[in-house]
Amino acid sequence: MPSTSTPGRVVAVTGACTYLGGELLRRLEEDPRYSRVLALDVRAPAQTGGKVEFIKLDLTQPTIDGELATLLQQAKVDTFVHGAFLAHPTHAAEWAHELEDVGTMHVLNACAGIEPRRLVMVSTTLVYGAHPKNPNFLTEDAELRGHRDSRFVNDKVRAERQVQRFAKEHPNVGVCVLRFAPILGPTISNMYTRFFSRPVAPVMMGHDPLMQFVHEQDAAYALVKAVESNATGPFNIVGKGVLPYTTVLALLGRVPVPMPQIVARQLTKVLWATQLVGSPPSFLDFLLYLCVADGSRARSVLGFSARLSIKRTILDFLGVAPEDGATDIARASV
Amino acid sequence: MTDDDDPVVGDGEEDWFGDADPRVPSPTRAPDASGWPDGEGSLGFLGNDYEQVADQIAPNYVPNEIGESEAELAELGRRLEQQRSPAFPIDLRKKLPLEAVWRRWRSLAMWGRSDVVDDFGRDPRATARWEWLFEFLYTRWFRVHATGLENIPARGRALLVANHAGTLPYDSAMVMHAVRRDHPARRDVRPLVEDTVFHLPWLGPIMNRIGGVRADPANAERLLEKDELVAVFPEGEKGMGKLWKDRYRLQRFGRGGFVKLALRTRSPIIPVAVVGAEEAAPMLGKVTWFAKNIGIPWIPVTPTFPWLGPAGLLPLPSKWFVQFGAPIELGAGPESADDRLLVNRLADQIRTRIQEMIDGLLGQRRSPVLSAFLG
Repeated sequence: MPSTSTPGRVVAVTGACTYLGGELLRRLEEDPRYSRVLALDVRAPAQTGGKVEFIKLDLTQPTIDGELATLLQQAKVDTFVHGAFLAHPTHAAEWAHELEDVGTMHVLNACAGIEPRRLVMVSTTLVYGAHPKNPNFLTEDAELRGHRDSRFVNDKVRAERQVQRFAKEHPNVGVCVLRFAPILGPTISNMYTRFFSRPVAPVMMGHDPLMQFVHEQDAAYALVKAVESNATGPFNIVGKGVLPYTTVLALLGRVPVPMPQIVARQLTKVLWATQLVGSPPSFLDFLLYLCVADGSRARSVLGFSARLSIKRTILDFLGVAPEDGATDIARASV
Repeated sequence: MTDDDDPVVGDGEEDWFGDADPRVPSPTRAPDASGWPDGEGSLGFLGNDYEQVADQIAPNYVPNEIGESEAELAELGRRLEQQRSPAFPIDLRKKLPLEAVWRRWRSLAMWGRSDVVDDFGRDPRATARWEWLFEFLYTRWFRVHATGLENIPARGRALLVANHAGTLPYDSAMVMHAVRRDHPARRDVRPLVEDTVFHLPWLGPIMNRIGGVRADPANAERLLEKDELVAVFPEGEKGMGKLWKDRYRLQRFGRGGFVKLALRTRSPIIPVAVVGAEEAAPMLGKVTWFAKNIGIPWIPVTPTFPWLGPAGLLPLPSKWFVQFGAPIELGAGPESADDRLLVNRLADQIRTRIQEMIDGLLGQRRSPVLSAFLG
């Protein structure tokens, strides 16, 4: 492994205050192969001091790319991790667009000049979108269809397209995109954890798509793996196994509320507009159709495979030990 | 505001994450009041535990080198963040109120479903749950007579290609059940289900739970690579929409996708003829008006269907014959999958073969109408 022998790599991380960013900082801090870690965000991450150096950087500023380029030049950044993406859909759509889409443009502008050895981008499998024609397992070469009217997803799709174009134009930069399945776990907060934290959950009458999650620790491990490896291209980072949506709700003990599509859409529209729920109406499509990705490329090329099954992930998110989780065997003996 | 310059918030001793800012003395409310907390700093259902939790998450949160007001803002943001996140340690979550009720509900909700499904959504518990229905249909209702099961390999991949009929896909269920019940290896067949059926409310998810897979080349290829038995009905929607006058006349076999599939995965093709399904739901006509609005290609008109309401969807008790033919080795490799002429020729050969098998089975029936029901 040539990358591991390079002494004293410098890593820059945008979105250092996100869950994955924080975990990455923590793990890089402990790793002697990295000499310096630049944590770029609008506020200080929990992990600072030692090798980690916080630099306040707002990607929504119009001339931030110049600043960032100087910074990268001075620090001789070897690996750039771009993780400044939102975990929750927001009503501040303009700002979200500036941060995710235009922010990625700034990052790529800065990287184009100095060409770091590696560029790792954090993305999600939501960029494939939930469509009735999706195969059961979406591979990395599937089209990024996003969602018709979800700005939350489409900003990420645009960001990813820019990165793909950048990878073509700059073959010297090893560009690696990690598409994470929805991340669940005891400490992370995102759209899905908020959705599943509610006691009731909508069910599209008569529809029950398969769902897929990845545990937060597995996700953090995959990110570290991507930083230290030389693999390039997109990778689906997914957990082990799939479960139908209603089974997920049953495991979580949430009360499913079946409703016709038209009712669900109108209701969610109202609740979203009044900011009572954290997921926009377009999210309902993910309760209707499949959006499950295939993680075999990450397994063979990146060397990442999830340790926890989907059931363990759900129970860990819920905070129950597996033996409490009413296993099949336990139920059979009752 | 106190005159304390040190912006250190909480030193592990005091409950800084209580209802009130610890730096502001609040005589009215004790931070560790028992009972249900209603302040802004607590997750309602967690009780007071949450205050201790906060210490464990961020025991020493030190906003360094920023002013007093900024520190307050930062802390406020942090509180909001923590309130929003479901982050609380596992040992404390066990003390959730109504734990017993909740656990009861969970075990109730898990009734009839398994917490492990295979990659394509087949749920072993749900399959077992519907088994009696298939067994009843197979032995009592349709009195299926299955022959040629020895042609199905005990292990390894194979593509079953069958004719299609009837308003609802009873034929795929019977092919599946025949192999599971009467084949010595008790193999599971994964039928490929057309989009229109797969996305039908209730029916689609049930079919998925008992083993149906959406008809998509990528899905089928993946299944065959895993050495499974895949059943495909190349007539697709056209087969299901056949009118009574066209019964047992095979329609065009799609665009030969199944041949490409077999070539690419080097799977043998096993032709399957199903006789009896046409009489189970004789389609006298179909209404396309309004059907598109409710998401189906047409509304079937059978001797029973619209007239008896939903009960009309029950199949008539015709006598069924299912014949599994000898495996056909295509004799070409994956590289031929792009040879359109070859693919089309092979598709037509297989279609002819199945048509012959159907005609043979029809010839065995004593009279065209009576024996369809009496057997």
